[in-house]
Amino acid sequence: MATTALRAQVASKWQESFNRLNKNEPGIAGLMRFSQAWEVATEFLRPKDISDPNALKTYNLATIRVAFDVVNQARRLPVMLEVYMDDIRKQQHLITQEVTAHMFRYEQSANPGIVLELVMRLVEWYNAWAPIPELGNTIRDAYTLTFQTHLFSVLPPSFTPGFKALCASTLPPISSDNDALPEANPRMWAAFETLGLFDRYEALIASVVYQHIEAHVLETCAGKWDEPVLPGLRDWMGKKVIKWMFSPYARGAKTTEEATVMLQGPGQRFDFHMSKTLCDLRTKEIFDIVIDYPDSSGALQDLKECLQRVDQRADLVRTLRTANKKRLLHPGADTKDILTQYVSTIRCLRIIDPPGVLLFKVADPIRRYLRERPDTIRSIVASLVGDGESGDSLVDENEPINPLQQPEIEDYTDPNWEPEPIDAGPDFRANKPSDVISTLVSIYDSKDLFVKELQVLLAQRLLAIQDGNFDKERRNIEILKIRFGEAALQVCEVMLKDMTDSRRTDQHVQSQQTFVLHPTIISRQFWPALESSGIVMPGQFETLQKEYAKEFSRFKPDKKLRWLPHLGTVHLEVQLQDREVTADVPPLEAAFIELFSEKNIWTVDDLISRVGSVDRSSALKALATWVDLGVLKEDAENSFRLLEIAEEATPGTRTAAARQAAIDEAPPVAGVQQQQAEQMRVYWKFIEGMLTNLGQLSLDRIQGMLKFAPGYDRTMDQLSSFMEAARMEGLVTIKDGMWKLNR
Amino acid sequence: MEQVTSSLAPPRSAPKTTVSGSSTDVAGSVTKRLSSELMTLMMSSSPGISAFPKSDANLFEWLGTIEGAPGTIYAGLTFRISISFPANYPYVAPTLKFDTPCYHPNVDITGGAICLDILQDKWSAVYSVHTILLSLQSLLGEPNNASPLNSDAAGLWDTPEAFKAQLMKYYRPISDASA
Repeated sequence: MATTALRAQVASKWQESFNRLNKNEPGIAGLMRFSQAWEVATEFLRPKDISDPNALKTYNLATIRVAFDVVNQARRLPVMLEVYMDDIRKQQHLITQEVTAHMFRYEQSANPGIVLELVMRLVEWYNAWAPIPELGNTIRDAYTLTFQTHLFSVLPPSFTPGFKALCASTLPPISSDNDALPEANPRMWAAFETLGLFDRYEALIASVVYQHIEAHVLETCAGKWDEPVLPGLRDWMGKKVIKWMFSPYARGAKTTEEATVMLQGPGQRFDFHMSKTLCDLRTKEIFDIVIDYPDSSGALQDLKECLQRVDQRADLVRTLRTANKKRLLHPGADTKDILTQYVSTIRCLRIIDPPGVLLFKVADPIRRYLRERPDTIRSIVASLVGDGESGDSLVDENEPINPLQQPEIEDYTDPNWEPEPIDAGPDFRANKPSDVISTLVSIYDSKDLFVKELQVLLAQRLLAIQDGNFDKERRNIEILKIRFGEAALQVCEVMLKDMTDSRRTDQHVQSQQTFVLHPTIISRQFWPALESSGIVMPGQFETLQKEYAKEFSRFKPDKKLRWLPHLGTVHLEVQLQDREVTADVPPLEAAFIELFSEKNIWTVDDLISRVGSVDRSSALKALATWVDLGVLKEDAENSFRLLEIAEEATPGTRTAAARQAAIDEAPPVAGVQQQQAEQMRVYWKFIEGMLTNLGQLSLDRIQGMLKFAPGYDRTMDQLSSFMEAARMEGLVTIKDGMWKLNR
Repeated sequence: MEQVTSSLAPPRSAPKTTVSGSSTDVAGSVTKRLSSELMTLMMSSSPGISAFPKSDANLFEWLGTIEGAPGTIYAGLTFRISISFPANYPYVAPTLKFDTPCYHPNVDITGGAICLDILQDKWSAVYSVHTILLSLQSLLGEPNNASPLNSDAAGLWDTPEAFKAQLMKYYRPISDASA
């Protein structure tokens, strides 16, 4: 039963198929016709080896179209396509051969031209095998997919670099002056498109451009800081890169507007990349840019603009901090250089980032380091008073002289108030003092230290002045008064007055009785501690001093002179038997030569005992001066003889300049170190005060209470060692962690 | 009713921001003044007087120490006093009292209150902790017997032996316990 039904079923199917192919033609004529058309169509579609000239035939397109129609009418087209795809797969070895051959050549020669050849050749294959458009898009897509899938599967790894090199070869060479674009090759880009290489390697093409931009930026901008390079770079982008981008990125654009729209996306990416590259470059160079300031202001402008586009502020801060740490904040660097660099940093970062967030982050380590340096204050003060010799003062001459600014509490009623920038740290203060001197002074918590150091420096400078011209110092003090306020500089004022007064006093004394001695009379209370010395001037010098003092006390009965004989210079004329020697020498030298007028031979120890207390080395130095002048001679060790008659100068005589140095050295005024000790003494007073009144205290509480002391900034450890030192001196005792006064 | 509402209102809500701002300014300036007085006191080397804030959190409560001046009947004795500054210092005098019992014509022996003109009607803003302590120290040696708080002491002043005996009966040396 079933067999009968099945047979009937098969028979009806067979009849149906037959009818479809035969088209109701008589006999099997229709079937024959279909068969013929199938033959023609498959033969036409069969992929052929294009390198074999025999395989290439010309077809009558009309016949073929008819044949396809017949196949289509018989609804056998899908089957035919399957056969077609099968044929393609069978022929794929031809493509593989082609690729292998070309890539082998490329690997040998590394010439991107060969890759181009390959690409063009592949396009030929592709076109030769492609079905005619009449067959519809579906077939074409299927074909393209099959072709590309195979192609990509056989491309060797070396194709990627080859392709990249090919893309790069279309860009102008970086280093040549003639950076005209090589002839655009639209066929090549069309070929890329056809083969689907463009979509597949888009990132690669972009990276070629990125590298091109990077190379150009590094080539043209590295080390060029004097003017902004960004406009030039943008110009270059517009002229070269955008022009180049038309082929790959704006293909198929009909009008300029369309092209512009198409180019916008990649264009912005490239512009961003350019900014980023420049930013990276400048970040890397930032330390040297700061050194070169103000000749590097162009670079700073660029950096500012780039940072607005590329968010790399944190990077910049990190780089600059690292560079500072490595190149600046170490014992090898001069304090003055650090200060100069700090000031430049201030100025540079203010250009880049006016609110000062970057500056705050970068400056912090520098300030902390400077605070630890013993001579920072001295250097700042020296530059404050424009210590002539160095030339490059930290302070800009043109900057107006302003009073020191104190950081203010934020004024929220200010209509122009702005919140702190988003990346500001927790300690960031928006109202940072804006002028350089205020910033430098604010390294320390109080300006008292500066004022003290200023007094020390002024004392040195005043004492060094020989010609009685104090105009420069007066001018400095007037300027500093504006900065620090009248009150702070009162002492300096007194010092200056002392200098002029002592001239007047001297004139008066001289009018009563003429002396060769011209002392500078200073008020002990107002001057910084001067280095004391136990020298007693012998002989005629002593007499001179006594007589002068007598005359002085007649003029000012309530005052008493206390001599500092070791400061000053003496102009001497030494008369010897055969010659006369004139010299400007320090007092100790004068004292010694005076003693030689008593007798001709002295030992060092005897000389020292006659002038009071001087240390041996300075005594020997003083004697060496006379030896150099040919007045004395060291006969035996430690024994000197006066040369009444000159001897031949011994070789190795020091020059006059060296002698001058002997006079100049050794500043007589106590410096910062003593002042720090001074500060610790203030803290001790507070500690003493709290222990007296509050009984025994723990270290914690002492540290806490010390916040009452102005400018207290020591750590717990420092306090601990300080207290330990006090205990050693027997000032305090400790029991169960509680400190108390020892009495 | 009115009383209820006024007591319900937060004590400091009434003044406008500007007013409260100025009041904090005032507090700031008092603190500043006290800090500078402390600095002066610490740096002055007047023997036998000293004072320091009780804690680092409150600058308005101090403890002081006065040693009797040599040559007076109080020589060698040390007295602890407490000083409390009002919020409107220095326009109003601080309140001082002896913590160590002090037998003295012008000092209340039980409460420690002090009768000193500059702490009452003669107060002026130019005085400072330093001057007050100096005055107190000299008051120990030279009492004002015309207006005694402790009339027994005023009566005994002219007989030093009896006075000293009374003084030592009440006197307790300062212990070292932490304040």
